Amino acid sequence: MEPMEIDPEKALQRKQATYSSLDDNFEIQKETYRGQQYSQIYFARLHLMRTLLYSLVPNRKPHLPVCTILQLEEGKECIIVGTLFKHMKLKPCVLDEYSKERSATPLVRPHNFMHTDDNLVLEDDSGRVKLAGSVLLPSAYVTGIVVALHGKETDAGDFLVQDVLEAGLPPQIELPLKSSEDKYVVFVSGLSVGSSTSNPLHFQLLVDHITGHLGDEKEQGIAAKIVHFVVAGDSIEIPRGLLNGQNLASKDQSRLSEPIKELDILLTQIAASLPLDIMPGPNDPANFSLPQQPLHRCLFPGSSAYNTFRSCTNPHCFELDNIRFLGTSGQNVNDLEKYSEAKDKIEFMERTLRWRHLAPTAPNTLGCYPFTDRDPFFIESCPHVYFVGNQNEYKTDLIKGSEGQFVRLICIPQFCTTGIAVVLNLRNLECHTLSFGTEFISS
Amino acid sequence: MAARSENMKGFYRQRKKSGVTKKPLQPSSSSNKSPKHSPTFGSDVTHAPALLSHGSPDLKDEYDESEEVLRQFDLNMAYGPCLGMTRQARWERARRLGLNPPYEIERLLKAGKVEPQCLWDGRV
Repeated sequence: MEPMEIDPEKALQRKQATYSSLDDNFEIQKETYRGQQYSQIYFARLHLMRTLLYSLVPNRKPHLPVCTILQLEEGKECIIVGTLFKHMKLKPCVLDEYSKERSATPLVRPHNFMHTDDNLVLEDDSGRVKLAGSVLLPSAYVTGIVVALHGKETDAGDFLVQDVLEAGLPPQIELPLKSSEDKYVVFVSGLSVGSSTSNPLHFQLLVDHITGHLGDEKEQGIAAKIVHFVVAGDSIEIPRGLLNGQNLASKDQSRLSEPIKELDILLTQIAASLPLDIMPGPNDPANFSLPQQPLHRCLFPGSSAYNTFRSCTNPHCFELDNIRFLGTSGQNVNDLEKYSEAKDKIEFMERTLRWRHLAPTAPNTLGCYPFTDRDPFFIESCPHVYFVGNQNEYKTDLIKGSEGQFVRLICIPQFCTTGIAVVLNLRNLECHTLSFGTEFISS
Repeated sequence: MAARSENMKGFYRQRKKSGVTKKPLQPSSSSNKSPKHSPTFGSDVTHAPALLSHGSPDLKDEYDESEEVLRQFDLNMAYGPCLGMTRQARWERARRLGLNPPYEIERLLKAGKVEPQCLWDGRV
């Protein structure tokens, strides 16, 4: 049999896009822990956002004086800036174990700790004041957001809120001139290789499709337009049942590392054909607190040999053809869901952008590194694409800002349960899904 | 906090009340945005109380003016929390955040012979 000849004229070339990583802010190699507490990061956050809000307030409410909480006078209308604290009755508190009276507390629903009695308090470095009024709904806010509030102090000592000034969407670098060619970016999340719910055939089908091994020429032509592949967290599931405190037998040790080996084989196939970014997720072998550091290269002996393989932090920020992407593996939005409510996950994502903070609940309820002089989750420049991984369903929206910013919001569903990957077209920022199924269709 | 009972007077070196009413290092030039908060307001909170543990008194309660100045820097709320950072790191952070901390503090810290950690270090 003659070997198949490849006609060089007919061979499809994969499109390329210029990539630059902006993850420096999320790396913690240079940080040293000196016993600092979380008050430092809260100070950095307050200072950063207060400076920002002080510059925005004269444009929006020019005639009102700005004062600190300690300078509040009864009846005087003014603007105060501080960090919100939401006092939640149902939030599990470590002190409950020690309370002498065990009153009958309502059953705590593990997925949401909201209660109608939740109230908000505003705190700055001079003092704190309880917030009253119906403008600020506790159900939409969480601890850790810095806002400016317009209102006045009541005789009860509360602050009656008349208006809320959020920072709003950050300034955005204008999108480059629309190019005429389609270039796609594929997002996938929650692969959970090694878990009982994941079907290895689904991921293999996905890999085969994007590397051009499936389909006819037209299909391959579409696959050749995929320029980047992003894995947004929870790529493996380590069989934790093996870790029971006993010494591991060598048989168990090899079983422990099987999922990562399987993932490496699949990622090698991808890395051999297009640039790949992998982010750690809540269940991956990376550190627990945000910002999660990149998965170590030694876990991927096969794929890390390729320079197209990039292990990235969570959150991850990068630019492709000057289009700015920002995304997380889902921890920020999932935590918001536990302590506040919104119509859907997209609304949570929009809120984080309008508050200009990726993870406002860090470090209160979301694990976070105790930074001393900066808050890396502060969003300085508005991304063009904002994605969040490990969600229950695929959802997308395009939001617009007051200064002409627009952002494509994407909720990436878990691949192990849904078999859906998300494809984004860089030309017009439109999204569609790629879904893979392996059931026989019964006729 | 500096009050001592009568029979302890002979035990401890008498200390002059330094009479600090205001942070002595407010930058005088108006172009600098100096911090507005001066919460100590004349209290002698920087005079650490004598610690009596296991019967032996803490005799490290003598300190000079430069330490007093540095303690006022530690307690100034405008520069953020002081615990968990060296004074030098806190000064540099204040510098970086645009808070214009007085250069006098850095001069004192660089001159050496002062405590690098804040006044609460080891006590909290």
